[in-house]
Amino acid sequence: MKRVLNHPQPPKEGDAVTTWRSVGEKEGSQSFRNDLDREFPNGDTLNEEEQELSRRSFTKLMGASSALAGLTLASCRRPESYIVPYKTAPEWVIPGKPLFYASTMPRVGGAVPLLVTTVEGRPRKLEPATDHPDASGTDALVQASILDLYSPSRSQDILKDGKVSDQAALLEGLKSLDLSKTALVFGSDDSPTRNRLAKELAGKGATLVSYEALTGEGLSAGVSTVVDFSKASRILSLDADFLGADPIGNSREFSKGRMGGDSEYNAEIVADKMSRLYQVETQFSITGGMADHRLRVAPSRVAMVAAEIASALGASVPASGLDDDDKAALFPGGSAAEFDQWVSECAKDLKEAASKTLVIVGSRQPKAVHQIAVAINAVLKSQAVRTVSTDLGQYGTMADLGAKVASGAVENIVFLTPSDPVYDFDGFEALAEKAKAIVHLGIRTNFTAWAANWHVPARHFLESWGDARSASGVLSLIQPMIFMPYEAVSELELLVVLNGGDFAQGDFSPAMGEVKKTFAALSGKAGDVAWREGLKNGFAADTAYADVAAPAGPIEVPKSTAPGTDNIEVVFSTDASVLDGRFIDNAWLQEAPDPVTKLTWDNAAQVSPLTAKALGIYDQVIALEPKGKFAFSDPFKRAAEAHIGEGEHAKAPFITVSIGDREITVPVLIAFGHADFAITIPLGYGQASDDGRKSAIALDADQPVVGHVGLNSGFNAYPLRSSDTPYFATGAKIGLTGNSYKVALTQEHNSMYGRALAREVSTNSLEGKGDFKEQVKEVKKQGLDAHAPVNISLYDPKGGIWSKDDAKKKSHISDDVHQWGMAIDLNTCTGCNACLVACQAENNIPIVGKDQVAMGREMHWIRMDRYFSAMETEVHGGHSSDTPTPDWVQQNPEMVPQPVACVQCEMAPCETVCPVNATVHTEEGLNSMAYNRCIGTRYCANNCPYKARRFNFFDYNKRNPLIKGNLYKGPLGKKKVGEAPHLQHNPNVTVRMRGVMEKCTYCVQRLEGAKIKQKQQQKQKTLAAGLPSTAVGVDRAVDLRVPTNSVKVACQEACPTAAISFGNLLDRESKIVKAKGNQLDSIARMFDSEEEWNNFKVEGSGRNYDLLNYVNTRPRTSYLARVKNPNPKMPDSAFLGQATINTH
Amino acid sequence: MANIFPRWANLLPLKIAVCLGAVGAGLVAGFTYYGTPKAQRVGYQPTQPIPYDHNLHVNQLGMDCRYCHSFTEHSSHANVPTANTCWNCHQHVQKGSPKLAALRDAMAVDENHLPKKDVDGNPVEGKPIQWVRIHKSPDYVYFNHSAHLNRGISCQSCHGDVHKMEKVYQAKSHSMGWCLECHRAPEKHVRPLEEVFNLDYDAEKYLKKNDVRDAKDKRITDPEDFGKFLVAHWGIRPKESCSTCHR
Repeated sequence: MKRVLNHPQPPKEGDAVTTWRSVGEKEGSQSFRNDLDREFPNGDTLNEEEQELSRRSFTKLMGASSALAGLTLASCRRPESYIVPYKTAPEWVIPGKPLFYASTMPRVGGAVPLLVTTVEGRPRKLEPATDHPDASGTDALVQASILDLYSPSRSQDILKDGKVSDQAALLEGLKSLDLSKTALVFGSDDSPTRNRLAKELAGKGATLVSYEALTGEGLSAGVSTVVDFSKASRILSLDADFLGADPIGNSREFSKGRMGGDSEYNAEIVADKMSRLYQVETQFSITGGMADHRLRVAPSRVAMVAAEIASALGASVPASGLDDDDKAALFPGGSAAEFDQWVSECAKDLKEAASKTLVIVGSRQPKAVHQIAVAINAVLKSQAVRTVSTDLGQYGTMADLGAKVASGAVENIVFLTPSDPVYDFDGFEALAEKAKAIVHLGIRTNFTAWAANWHVPARHFLESWGDARSASGVLSLIQPMIFMPYEAVSELELLVVLNGGDFAQGDFSPAMGEVKKTFAALSGKAGDVAWREGLKNGFAADTAYADVAAPAGPIEVPKSTAPGTDNIEVVFSTDASVLDGRFIDNAWLQEAPDPVTKLTWDNAAQVSPLTAKALGIYDQVIALEPKGKFAFSDPFKRAAEAHIGEGEHAKAPFITVSIGDREITVPVLIAFGHADFAITIPLGYGQASDDGRKSAIALDADQPVVGHVGLNSGFNAYPLRSSDTPYFATGAKIGLTGNSYKVALTQEHNSMYGRALAREVSTNSLEGKGDFKEQVKEVKKQGLDAHAPVNISLYDPKGGIWSKDDAKKKSHISDDVHQWGMAIDLNTCTGCNACLVACQAENNIPIVGKDQVAMGREMHWIRMDRYFSAMETEVHGGHSSDTPTPDWVQQNPEMVPQPVACVQCEMAPCETVCPVNATVHTEEGLNSMAYNRCIGTRYCANNCPYKARRFNFFDYNKRNPLIKGNLYKGPLGKKKVGEAPHLQHNPNVTVRMRGVMEKCTYCVQRLEGAKIKQKQQQKQKTLAAGLPSTAVGVDRAVDLRVPTNSVKVACQEACPTAAISFGNLLDRESKIVKAKGNQLDSIARMFDSEEEWNNFKVEGSGRNYDLLNYVNTRPRTSYLARVKNPNPKMPDSAFLGQATINTH
Repeated sequence: MANIFPRWANLLPLKIAVCLGAVGAGLVAGFTYYGTPKAQRVGYQPTQPIPYDHNLHVNQLGMDCRYCHSFTEHSSHANVPTANTCWNCHQHVQKGSPKLAALRDAMAVDENHLPKKDVDGNPVEGKPIQWVRIHKSPDYVYFNHSAHLNRGISCQSCHGDVHKMEKVYQAKSHSMGWCLECHRAPEKHVRPLEEVFNLDYDAEKYLKKNDVRDAKDKRITDPEDFGKFLVAHWGIRPKESCSTCHR
């Protein structure tokens, strides 16, 4: 009998939880519902212009090619190709095998230790180092930083007043600088060799300054905090996005805390051992998504809330100054009592955990908040945080520099900072006016480069010698792997030159000697042997920061007036893609959707729904969708529908934001969970535009600051930001413009509506759902799976399971050594995009540009879904009532991210519909894709219930999609073959062409590589045995099986929270089997009797579930439900941990 | 009315049709034969910059394959030797031979093995030798030499009797069907690991010389049985699924 499974209807009874991903879905817009039924929203057919173009160019081409065919037939001969070996073999290089080097990516908040994969001299992929004391994963910025090395718009020539010059002239220019009247402006990261050289220069009279646009004020210069999440069971985060844009501490340790200390899945999570996170923040961050309790407050009020909590804990902190009205405003629909309960119960919980408490503060918050955190940590004697001294105390601020320039004490400024002061520093004009000579070292020709007298191209960190301190202060070494043929100079080399030395001569860099000297001094180990060992490991042990007492001082809690429609608070936020603007030309980051807003290629302001309604923005958002396609269609017929532009037609209304006489125009998005009467504007965009947009700097073609990537990308919010209020400002006014801006959002794409996809449980007992254990037991039965019948197949693959007949028993999934599987733990997944970009780097995935993304044609193999959920009605007696939950519950939803890639179904719907067998199953359970066989019918994508397949609508790898209209020009379009980014490509993965389907392969190139490496062991085994090879047998399960947990796929390796497990389901010791078990029919079929199978099978975690289980695809990738650990005494605890849709 | 067409024209359309059919069939047949790798590739014997003689180096001098193709057991890629590998011997042997001009160019020396200088007297950079590629698998095929050599498949199985070639040519078709033939019946090609680089290997002779016993402790004498024995003994199960070679 055919089973009909309809879309689940919104629940009539049971828990009335709505889960939504966008305004469109929340409001149930018709266009959104239409999109659901489509394979690629709006982008699956060519639009009229494209159709016209392709038809015309097709006929044109046909004519041309048949004419040419006659000419070329005569030369129809295989072209001669060559093998060009080295003249002299370089040491270690084996053609076809990668080489790994330990190195480090320097950055504020702690350098990231890395293992760099190089192929025949080219760095290809960055992996996190595993044996470094601060080893964690990497984030999207780290993964994408390799693209900057090969960026075609990288600065390549030395410029003197904007004209190409050479190194000899530069040397002369630098030597002529009077050091005693020179200021050096460094970045804010910590590099011991730089500190030492800078100190030497300061001894000669140079002024030292540190500047980056968004590093914050901190506690005090030269004092920093080091946090240890492994010692924290209760964490209070005050506006700190420590898992995202504002890295603090080690994400992997934090995630271990979320797993109750057991990240290896040895047992089910123990609620008492799980850490709890309280988050006080303005806009939703990915850290806020991980929080158990989240309080939305305007940025200026974070200090006041912190003071409330501190005084509840008995710390000596001045009164917060929050009155009852202020408190009630934070809980719309509630009262001051809720706020008081939130604060007092939070404080009680922290007090109970005592020394296992950790309070951390975001870098954008002022000094007072850092002081309050220190006070709380001190009162509770927290073991999880320590204050340490850094060498950064020797650097002054830009304000100091301004004073010295004004007084004439400084005449020359050397900018070595990765920020772009002309663009991002308010007050550069004053400096430039008085300065005699400005030297700029940078990897891009940014605004400062063109404003400077000298611009020196900087070396990328993958091509320079250097060192950096990781989060806990461990000395980490940076070593070069390549020298791009540019006239570039590294920062240390420039310092050596300023110090009287010389530039690098050929392969020899004076910086290496300096780094070696620092290494010997800090590690206490001199000599070449220790140095080589250090380079091999990438760090020097026992070099962490020394503890220091936190600086004492009076705390002044900054007071602010209550925000309102006339007093909007503005947050100048760090952008997840471009940081402070430095990554504007990085295509991978630009195309990676923002973890929360899912916006690509642009920035947009965010406001809460309540604020949007109060300001009239909401109506504009709803009104954006055109009522009908034709002018004459009846407007009244459609008037009742609340339309929101989606997909290709997604638009955001323009608003003006003004503070005093500063004003900018930006598009605005509705952001759920945002604090009311506050607006968040990400910085770093709008650096160049040629389409006349407001609030972006017009492109100067003679002095370009960006390449194709950064052009027409977003809006510049720096003009709104003054040096008095660098991180947030109050008193802003918002005006409507009536115009709108086309935005490329990925959130509506590939939607799976209404199913229990991302599942969640709570450690609290929930009404109608039972306690934690019962909830875990019921994870597999959430949603439609609660009453879908057991999956059976009429087409049982060959015979019965326990058949004795081998020929009958054997299914196609037959390999007895490896059966691959993956589990993604939503409990630790933060949605940070690291996997998405790592996958892009590993698998040669092209970028497609803003227009194509808007049409739903992005090529990312991993789609990072993000769901919001909140309870809309209260639950009584296990059933939902008619009583709506208070506004403050509905306005403060939970956020659950869910990465979805191809789940490698055992019974894959895509395989059965492929007319050319281009996608078939392998013996090891992979759904493989033979690109060269694919003819591009797209049936497979049509039939994929997970919408995990991607189609190359154009030759994105060969044609530059960022030039307007280029893709539609066919062979006449501009190619990008031979450009430097191709050097990054993975030689073990096919570069796909136009008209080919692609999708996640479980990094099959890595799996095959690991298996082949294992096969090579046979020879070793024979040699070790000392017998003829014919006498040495090979046990498949022992000798040919890849060692437990040794093969890692790209997303898994990059994941900072170890949320992705991957491995061999036939290996009972592997992490993957512990996580998801191995109870699959395909595996059971390999055993001869039920008894053998029972002895072998492993159940795995109860939180494990399959996506869309009821369609019987039997996926190999499964998910583990998220666990919320709310404090039962908090006002919102009853509403948490229920993100899953229930259809009872 | 008189007939416009003469009588003999009656059969003309048929004749034309038959002729066209024959031409069409001939074209199809020709393409199916000549368009395949078997016809297109086998026998490809380009002229190399240095007329390197495998027969001389292997059979007269007794060199092993791995002296020059040094990483073939370790890497996917069977490397062509770097110029300095050749130079190890040829800085002493065949000094000044016109056949080795390309090697001397690579090492940047003249006929007398003195460093080459340009007109200004500056040292000249060597030009690497451009060997013409003979065996070329398409971009989307990921063949791995080490996986085969370490499991008892010899060079000979794919490259033919290279050791007897004075001028190398492609001996086998290297088409996908040809790959699969062996993946489906590896017992025809597998040989003891010690014999992988012995291109004069003969299974019958090997079995006469060596006492190899099967699982029932019976001496194996038949080469086919020997192949089957090794495949079972070493757990060889070559994959036929796409992602084995296409990634």
